[in-house]
Amino acid sequence: MKTTFNRLVLSLTTVNRQHIQLAFIILSLTMLVLGVGAPEDGGGNILRK
Amino acid sequence: MILLVAVAGGLLSGIGWARWRGIPYQPPALQYLWLVFVAFLPQFAILYLPNIRQQVPDAWAAVLLTASQFLLLGFAWLNRKLPGMKILLLGAALNFTVMAANGGFMPISPQTASRLVPQEVLQDIPPGERFGTKDILLRPEETRFEWLADRFLPPVWSPYQVAFSLGDVFIALGVFFLLAHQNHSGPFL
Repeated sequence: MKTTFNRLVLSLTTVNRQHIQLAFIILSLTMLVLGVGAPEDGGGNILRK
Repeated sequence: MILLVAVAGGLLSGIGWARWRGIPYQPPALQYLWLVFVAFLPQFAILYLPNIRQQVPDAWAAVLLTASQFLLLGFAWLNRKLPGMKILLLGAALNFTVMAANGGFMPISPQTASRLVPQEVLQDIPPGERFGTKDILLRPEETRFEWLADRFLPPVWSPYQVAFSLGDVFIALGVFFLLAHQNHSGPFL
């Protein structure tokens, strides 16, 4: 029972860590493309001052 | 928006492809992630935070934007061996070139801009003034590397109008392939 519980905890920990890593990678790539890309859709920033 | 669609599309394609083959999804094994955060931070502050944006003069914004893009180019170069990153790197280099050659901002012609905002708004913005987030309104004859500027538009009937550059096309293709391609190390989903 204790072994099963430990395995479950380990599994959840691994999944969470992997999902966090994936989220970081997606966030990084999003920042990268927003940073180097420059499309303009005439959003709410046209009149900036 | 179109770049975010490319990110989402690449991710969904990658996950779908992995599921179809019965293997775990493997995202790209990016190195030096900290560099993206460091590089993007000044750009985020001067472009997306209204309070800071209004206080930073255009000249300084141009310098910070150029420096930020240079660092992001460095990050892409350090990860150039990943599938798709070379395409993204090419797009980033094209955008960097045209922006650096035109005072640090992406040039857009008044004619192209007229598809994005009403004419009465546009006539209040003189050529040479900033337009939108990263753009600067410039006549084609006053633009260096005009063929790399924000000059492409979707069809008139499209409900979503956006001006984009050749570099943006390569960036979107690159990030899509980067996330969709499945031959990395380490299972995820």
